[in-house]
Amino acid sequence: MKRSVWLLLILALVIVYPLLFTTPFLQRLGALVLLYAIAASAWNIVGGYAGQVSVGHVVFFGCGAYASMAFFTHFGWPPIAAVPVGMAASVGIAALIGVPTLRLSGHYFSMATIAVAELARLIVTNVEALGAAVGLSGPVMPRTVFDLSFTSALPYYYLFLAVLLVVLGLTYWMENSRIGFYLRAIKDNERAARSLGVQAGRYKLYAYMISAGLTSVAGTLYATMYGFIDPESGLGILTSVKILIMAALGGAGLLFGPLVGAAILVPLEEISNNLLGGKGAGLTFVVYGAIIMIIARFYPSGLLKLLLDRMAAAKPAPSDKQVRDVA
Amino acid sequence: MLLEAIDVTKTFGALTVVNTVSVSLNKGDILGLIGPNGAGKSTFFNCLTGDLMPTSGRVILNGEDVSMMTPEQRAVRGLARSFQVPQTFETMSVLENVMIGAFLRTSDPARARRRAYEVLDLVGLVDVASAVAGSLGTPGRKRLEIARALATDPEILLLDEAMAGLTATEVRQAIELVRKIHQTGMTLVIVEHIMEVIISLAQQVIVFHQGHQIARGTPQEVTRDPAVVTAYLGKRAAANAARGFAGDPA
Ligand SMILES: Nc1ncnc2c1ncn2[C@@H]1O[C@H](COP(=O)(O)OP(=O)(O)O)[C@@H](O)[C@H]1O
Ligand SMILES: [Mg+2]
Repeated sequence: MKRSVWLLLILALVIVYPLLFTTPFLQRLGALVLLYAIAASAWNIVGGYAGQVSVGHVVFFGCGAYASMAFFTHFGWPPIAAVPVGMAASVGIAALIGVPTLRLSGHYFSMATIAVAELARLIVTNVEALGAAVGLSGPVMPRTVFDLSFTSALPYYYLFLAVLLVVLGLTYWMENSRIGFYLRAIKDNERAARSLGVQAGRYKLYAYMISAGLTSVAGTLYATMYGFIDPESGLGILTSVKILIMAALGGAGLLFGPLVGAAILVPLEEISNNLLGGKGAGLTFVVYGAIIMIIARFYPSGLLKLLLDRMAAAKPAPSDKQVRDVA
Repeated sequence: MLLEAIDVTKTFGALTVVNTVSVSLNKGDILGLIGPNGAGKSTFFNCLTGDLMPTSGRVILNGEDVSMMTPEQRAVRGLARSFQVPQTFETMSVLENVMIGAFLRTSDPARARRRAYEVLDLVGLVDVASAVAGSLGTPGRKRLEIARALATDPEILLLDEAMAGLTATEVRQAIELVRKIHQTGMTLVIVEHIMEVIISLAQQVIVFHQGHQIARGTPQEVTRDPAVVTAYLGKRAAANAARGFAGDPA
């Protein structure tokens, strides 16, 4: 009851945010937070819940982004119409990476994801139809409203919010159904899970494919808003790392963890970019590296978990002694 | 015949850890596997559960050859196990641990939760249902593993040293629990290196020594077997025999 009141309050704040903060910078910032929250929440399904750390999620982001720009460029589709194409390609790639590697220990999977993402970036850089090194653009002038080409960030803000709510709703449903339980069990102890009949390989693959499909939607939305995609923005390793860090910082395996992470990191990055201009990119890597080390050292389960634990500690819980006596 | 192992052999490189061991169990049997540390009990056990594939030989479950099947495939077919070193889901609650087992027979969380509570009640862990599994001590974890396995509604339950590391009182409670489970009609394979536990539970015992089956029979027969007394019981046997233990195990 208390929890749902809090959630409604926060949701209300998120809904009115761009109406209270009306400068283009702040509205765009809000939209970007939501966009990265979508990508990080999608990553969370395989990286957080199933514990299979993908370091190459940008390949799915790129699929979504490139699908929209390519189908506009070659066939004149409204960019958003390519969502199913990007999703299908992403799910297919996820299966190609996941089937051979998810059966092995987690490190092989992580390394394979990086390798495939970098390979994709190299290939796209050399494919003329995908704009090669220059990239692809969306509609210069909106032909119809379906091109989703707006000067204000406000429509994007609400579009992204709607998609984020769908992603979080799906995650919530998953969390409370058998697959969610199974993924957590696999993350905790795969061997034990298998002894109880959990088809670990299959469930990890499901999680990866769902995650890939949803990440691709984030890519399409990104391209729709920016109206442009190139190998660096669409397939660069920095985006993979960004997605991963947001989820880990906020709390991997927690429903709202990635949103919290995005709400902290996106403003940080935008502000530092504004202050430092083009020189910011190198520094961004350094900052991300530092954040990874701090999370790993001090908050391995993320900031949101830290907060929830603090709140739980304030309430009386069954004491350790009681637990030991009965067991 | 519910479970049958025929000439199971497992080698690691040049090392033969299990050498042509055969067992067979009917419904309702309790089979004990004993032997000193390193005798190959767990390795044989893992060949039965699918954690290891036998190098040669066959494992038959309910008339079906499962020798090359994965642990999850065998679980679906009614085989459940505990681990010698507890492998609980540390970050999940005791209840959730057991629900993972129950989910094998239902996809409905409410049903899985109900089934989990039933099993927790049976093993005496209801009071700690909401505690995190990682907060339990060894006895609690071993009990939890049994609960989790039972929640899969198995036909046969295999326990690998479910009583190692327990105090005398806890061992007695654990023996009571195994009896209770057996009374529900369960078939059991129990691995122990504590002879007393096997004697009080098993109807049929197989003694392992350096990968070989060196004796088989009722606990009484086995403890009188000279080969067992020298090979397995060793020094302790001498002491126990002095107290009349080996000759009068009951
Ligand atoms: N994966 C493995 N590789 C090599 N040797 C192993 C492996 N697993 C077990 N062994 C060896 O097999 C022997 C039997 O081990 P185990 O089956 O655990 O014995 P027990 O359960 O009877 O104590 C031991 O000597 C152990 O070192
Ligand atoms: Mg052992």
